Amino acid sequence: MTTAETEPEVYLDYQSSKPVDPRVVEAMRPYFFEKFGNPSSLHIEGDRATKVLEESREKIADFVGASSREILFTSGATESNNLALIGYAMRNKRKGNHIIISEVEHIPIHNIAKYLERNGFEISKVPVDQYARVDPKKLESRITDKTILASIGYGSNEVGTLQPMESICQVLKNKGIAIHTDAVAAEGLVPMDVNKVPVDLMTLSSNDIYGPKGLGVLYVRKGFGIAPIIMGGGQERGLRSGTENMPAIVGMAEAARIAAVEMSEEIKRLGSYRDRLIKGVLERIPKAYLNGHPTERLPNNAHFRFEAVEGESLMLSLKDKGISASTGSACTSKTLEPSHTLIACGLLHEEAHGSLEFTFGRFNKAEDVDRILEVLPVVLERLRRLSPLYEGS
Amino acid sequence: MGRVGNPVCGDLMEIYIAVEDDHIKDIKFQTFGCGSAVATSSMVTELVKGMSLDDALKVTRDDVADALEGLPPIKMHCSNLAADALHAAIRNWREGKSPKEIGSEFPLYVNKHCNPPEEPIEGESEFLGKGVYNSADDSNLFKDKRVLVSDMGGVASAELAMDLTKHTGRVIFITPAKETEIHPDIKGRLKRSDVKALFESELLKIMGSGEVEKVLVNDLDEDQEYELFVDVVVIRR
Repeated sequence: MTTAETEPEVYLDYQSSKPVDPRVVEAMRPYFFEKFGNPSSLHIEGDRATKVLEESREKIADFVGASSREILFTSGATESNNLALIGYAMRNKRKGNHIIISEVEHIPIHNIAKYLERNGFEISKVPVDQYARVDPKKLESRITDKTILASIGYGSNEVGTLQPMESICQVLKNKGIAIHTDAVAAEGLVPMDVNKVPVDLMTLSSNDIYGPKGLGVLYVRKGFGIAPIIMGGGQERGLRSGTENMPAIVGMAEAARIAAVEMSEEIKRLGSYRDRLIKGVLERIPKAYLNGHPTERLPNNAHFRFEAVEGESLMLSLKDKGISASTGSACTSKTLEPSHTLIACGLLHEEAHGSLEFTFGRFNKAEDVDRILEVLPVVLERLRRLSPLYEGS
Repeated sequence: MGRVGNPVCGDLMEIYIAVEDDHIKDIKFQTFGCGSAVATSSMVTELVKGMSLDDALKVTRDDVADALEGLPPIKMHCSNLAADALHAAIRNWREGKSPKEIGSEFPLYVNKHCNPPEEPIEGESEFLGKGVYNSADDSNLFKDKRVLVSDMGGVASAELAMDLTKHTGRVIFITPAKETEIHPDIKGRLKRSDVKALFESELLKIMGSGEVEKVLVNDLDEDQEYELFVDVVVIRR
């Protein structure tokens, strides 16, 4: 906190939080003040709000190739995931009680699955290869005549691996099984179209495309029924009650508009930072390894494992140099367990603890890569000198 | 020197002391661990420098935590090993043990210390040919796979593990032996190779659905079982 003031600050943890784009804030501003109407009201202010709500829904639907009736607003990605899994399971439990997820799902999916398991559903977890990819054939082998739903994340929020979504959808469609994907990590970084990758339920979040926090979306393909998990005044066609968060909805619509225009350029730019960082780290630092897939990965994600160094001490040393990154190990969060994703990739606990994740975003510059490549080797060298596990080469 | 902790749970700490007139003249540490582990080892060295050995033995985990103005509760358990490492160092010094002795109590590769799996491992016959192999003749089976090679008591399995790194980046050699029990020559070569050696570990069970997906490993040192995701298991029979 003291030294960081004198160092240039570099933020490389866009995976955990993104700033709101200033253009989004501008679009939202009137909806805190003069345009404060509630879409449920039947008066003039209410009518105006309804119009904006539906226009926003349309813009967000366009962003993923959906129709506006397939878009439900929620309070965030976690709620969308709950609504998708619990809502679909409850509505379709007469068809079967078996649900498949992968070993590398984002933690909410694992915990929702646990909850469903306690409530009479059966959960299977499909393993991944060393790059965190799901093998569609292995997924197929998990299917039983009781399987109603599979939830496979579009891209890993940790190691950045992209799943073979088209093949996965194909396997499940052939068997008449619904497919949910938590697409949050890949949102705005991979062009998404529910006609090309025919998922039935998809979780999106506003903040992940530089919109405000506190708003999520669940895409529900026409013809796929879900039961509500939040009861109330019957908003969102009775599927998600609660007064609409209008400023955030307008913000996310603007964020989606910007993303649609700028995505291809942004993918190229962030991809070049990612590639330069990966190349630089693997070349300059001995006993450094890339976690996740070498090519099928999110354009903004570089996730490394460094032998004989613990992720949190590395993260804290970088913090002293003004660099914000994220540990692969969950030591920073509420448990001491290593990342389940890295374990699923076949790493040992001590290896998983030595991981660090860098995620680029809209406001990074090429110099940020230079800075990290300048600082990281020095910091690692110091920590390794301190480590009884490292025997220098 | 005193060594405590285990890298499996994220922390390993070594404290070195120089003693003069029964007082700690100098003290240094090496730590693999999270922020709290590093902070506590650094703090303990500052606390006890110049102290008599008897006084230093009275320094507790809580003293170290207090000197740091407290630690988050979740870190007290796993990271506050510094006092333990200090006490181990003092005990070892009093018993006249050199760092070398502490690190190498069994200087030879001694088969009788290990119990390589003689009986078939649970799941071995079920997955034979479906991820479990008795030889490594067909290198195509290993290409780009996560391979676990079981120690069968001889050097041949270790050689095979090192050889397999030509075909895949991920080879793990699992042996019930301690690192220090391995023949120094083989140990050195294993270290320099890309093989990840799992010492003091026992392969309990091979699991999967149709083919091998993971194994159950018993950490003999910690007496703790855990799952390890692999694609191929080689057991030379």
